[in-house]
Amino acid sequence: MTNFEKNAVWQGTLSLMVLRTLLTMGEQHGYGIARRIEQTSQGRLSINYGTLYPALLKLEQEGLISSEWGLSDNNRKAKFYKLTKAGRKQIERDTRQWEETAAIMMRFLAGEE
Amino acid sequence: MKSLRAWMLRLFGVLGSSRSERDLSAEIDSHLQLHIDDNIRAGMTPEEARRRAIIALGGIECTNEAVRVRRTLPLIDSLVRDVRYGIRTLIKSPGFAIAGVIILGLGIGVNSAIFTVVNAVVLRPLPFPDADRIMRVWHTPPPKQFAFPTFSLSPANFADWDEQNEVFERMAIYRYGRRALTGSGEPAAVQVGRASADFLPILGVNPVIGRIFTRAEDREGAPLTAVLSEPFFKSRFGGDQSIIGKTIVIDRVPHIVIGVVPNTVALGSRVEVWVPLAWTAKERATRANHNYSGIAKLKPGISVERAQADMTAIAKRLEAQYPDDNKEWGVLIRPLQDDIIMQARNSLVVLLGAVALVLLIACANLANLMLVRTHGRAREIAVRGALGASRLRVVQQLLTEGMVLGIGGGAAGLAAAYFGVDALKAAFGNALPRANEVTVNSEVLIFTAIISIATGLLAAFVPAWQLTGRDANDALKTGPARGNSSGGDGRLRSLLVVSEVALALMLLIGAGLLLRSLSGLRAVDPGFDAHHVLTATIDIPDAKYPTPQQRNQFFDRVLQNTRALPGVESAAFVESVPLQGGSTQYIAPEGLPPMKDSDLPVVAVRLSSPGYFKTLRIPVIAGRDLSETDGLNRPRVVVVSEGTAKKFWPNQNPIGKHVTLTMMTKEPSEVVGVVREVQLGSLDATAEQTETAVYVPAAEFGYGGTTLVLRTAGDPTLLTKAMVGAVQRVDPEQPVLDIQTLDEIVEQSLGQRPLAMLLLAAFALLALVLATVGIYSVLAYTVRQRVREIGIRLALGAPVEGLLGMIVVEGLKPTLIGIVIGLGLAAALVRVMATLLFGVSQHDPGTFSGVALIMIVVGVVATLIPAYRATRVDPIVTLRAE
Repeated sequence: MTNFEKNAVWQGTLSLMVLRTLLTMGEQHGYGIARRIEQTSQGRLSINYGTLYPALLKLEQEGLISSEWGLSDNNRKAKFYKLTKAGRKQIERDTRQWEETAAIMMRFLAGEE
Repeated sequence: MKSLRAWMLRLFGVLGSSRSERDLSAEIDSHLQLHIDDNIRAGMTPEEARRRAIIALGGIECTNEAVRVRRTLPLIDSLVRDVRYGIRTLIKSPGFAIAGVIILGLGIGVNSAIFTVVNAVVLRPLPFPDADRIMRVWHTPPPKQFAFPTFSLSPANFADWDEQNEVFERMAIYRYGRRALTGSGEPAAVQVGRASADFLPILGVNPVIGRIFTRAEDREGAPLTAVLSEPFFKSRFGGDQSIIGKTIVIDRVPHIVIGVVPNTVALGSRVEVWVPLAWTAKERATRANHNYSGIAKLKPGISVERAQADMTAIAKRLEAQYPDDNKEWGVLIRPLQDDIIMQARNSLVVLLGAVALVLLIACANLANLMLVRTHGRAREIAVRGALGASRLRVVQQLLTEGMVLGIGGGAAGLAAAYFGVDALKAAFGNALPRANEVTVNSEVLIFTAIISIATGLLAAFVPAWQLTGRDANDALKTGPARGNSSGGDGRLRSLLVVSEVALALMLLIGAGLLLRSLSGLRAVDPGFDAHHVLTATIDIPDAKYPTPQQRNQFFDRVLQNTRALPGVESAAFVESVPLQGGSTQYIAPEGLPPMKDSDLPVVAVRLSSPGYFKTLRIPVIAGRDLSETDGLNRPRVVVVSEGTAKKFWPNQNPIGKHVTLTMMTKEPSEVVGVVREVQLGSLDATAEQTETAVYVPAAEFGYGGTTLVLRTAGDPTLLTKAMVGAVQRVDPEQPVLDIQTLDEIVEQSLGQRPLAMLLLAAFALLALVLATVGIYSVLAYTVRQRVREIGIRLALGAPVEGLLGMIVVEGLKPTLIGIVIGLGLAAALVRVMATLLFGVSQHDPGTFSGVALIMIVVGVVATLIPAYRATRVDPIVTLRAE
């Protein structure tokens, strides 16, 4: 298990995870996003769900996502987030950047051996 | 872009909204509910499901806080809270707050007011397009003969400069004068600017109606045109545009009005009508007579130095070409702004320095107040510290409080400045250039805001700094009542007193030196009696009085009429009264070998009527006064001043010698009298600078312009109307201009000095009061701190006088140190005032020791009161309080 919470990389990474989750799932509330991230990481990522909310607020302030109150599948009131146009573009940019970073890091790490 | 957007949203978030707070808790609730639902579906009990959901969230309050931090900007958030808290605590101690705001308001007010003036006059560029390229052009006269560094221009030299230079886009030449405007309504005296065609374009003045005159119209024989200034156009012609194309009569000569221009600033702002020079060929060829002013606009990219070099080369060429007229006549180029503010700059800089010192003293006072208060709040601060408030937070809060006080003081100061500026402008009068541009503007607001906040912060920094060094435990144990004032705290306070005393002392010395200069200047014997003399200028137009006989007759009749007025003791004419400038000419005295005119000695020449010496009470030492028998077609005579006689014929009897007024006639004049020397140029002229004079019977030449002087029995201003009446009984259309008393002229010649002295004295007094309050409050506080010690000493039988002496001596120590430091600083800085001083050494021992003595007396008085109070302490009461 990786504890990302105090990690400097965490903020940017979590943002991209949230955006990707919204891209695949469409509209989703905070709890749903948290569960989805947990599932996708196959339990290897343990986060406090609470840390998600500042990240969501940041994305909303930056205009990458928007929110609206609605009803969940089991008729609970919940705040739903969805991607904006800017958010979709941001995913492309971030993904490309992330892949580049990862590739460079991999090359370095491979060379270290 | 997106981070800016986020930042703005967070900034707005600072303002806080209960809606977003509700929204947040609803979202967290909903999150928990969804999780609990899932957990229950997975088979947990409701309690367990809730517990697990909260754990997975990481705590409700923590989450809320994390979101809140993200929503706003924490630093600003706490700043806003501090400001609110600061305002609340200040309201709770109104005495402290009001004292602080008043002290700062005084300090900031004088600064804002003086800055308003300095900013408009010195700092702001002149409001012209390319103002930095506009230069003033001067002649520099031969230093051997003339006492002035710069001199007016002659037409022929100007024309050559204009033609030969390669550094200026264009040059212009001009002069001002009062002229009679007749034909349209009441006859009036108007300020007329005669200028070459390029003058207004160089200043970037564009007509608001019509057009300005062209170069073609600035020629002899061209139809005469006139351009009105806007204020004059409105006041005289009611803004009626139909005046364009009509004719106005200036000195009996008709001019066609072709346009209206806005009031110029900086140069010729008082001019009401602009007319072209339209020199005659003879006027244009004048090389040895210097009567005009010049301006020029540099070509882009040409430096002042380059222009000066180029012009100097031309002047040298002209010197070689016209050695008779131009020997040693050079040229000086100076940026127009420097030229205009030269006189005022010095006093303004001194005043700005003075108010900065006042502000520092006010700041030290406030710092002391805050220090005392922080001491009283030591326990509160210690408790906050113990409860976990970081020291930085407490410091931040103190600084905020200082800032709030600073802003309060700034607002009070700005209000004071707003009214102060008008008073300043009125007080400066004509001595202040660019006065019409002086207003409280946005630059003043920014300046005030900056010094207010800086002063508040600086004052708060002292207790804040003090605080960081203190152990919270100590403060908790002892509490405010017996907070020990020894050690760093006491030293800090002494330091404040030292600096206040030193600063106030410097101001007092400055004011003292100016006071002595001014009383010295006023005590200068000008060589004439200026009291009870009324003066006025009268210019009669050649067009109406074409011959010298007619002009002489006019003036004779005016003299007859005025001498007959009740209350007039004597009346006379003189070309120009002392201290108002006048003609300076090459004179050929008998006994010198023949030489070129330009090598001749230079003396002041005054055309005057008989009775002038009597009217100004200038003693005739030898020979006789000018008389009624001197005049046209009579033997030429002159009266010389003592200095002229000594210069021309040392150790010889000047009576019966001859001089030739080379610039007016070839015939020699016989010296018939010698009079005492008079200060013609300025009261502070040194012996070498004093212009010596030759007095010539005005009737010999019969010119049309002169100054009427009346000696009156009583208040001369009461005779103003009678005097005008006496003149207009000779010619009802004749304007009588520039009516003022000779006393006023003498006072004007002192320039900014009286005002600078008055202001400096006021600032010094303010500083003295602030410093006194500072010394007093520090000592009062120290004594209060030591009440217990004093009580014990008294109980043990210490004599009251001894105790009193001890406290006063200790209290005086910082004052004495401050005096020593202040004397040293003043001695070093007094140089900036050098040009304002007269007849007093920069380090005048009398002023320095006198001011030090005043400071000591003030220090003793300020310490005596709290010291005396301390000895009234009842030892029983103090000890019982244990």
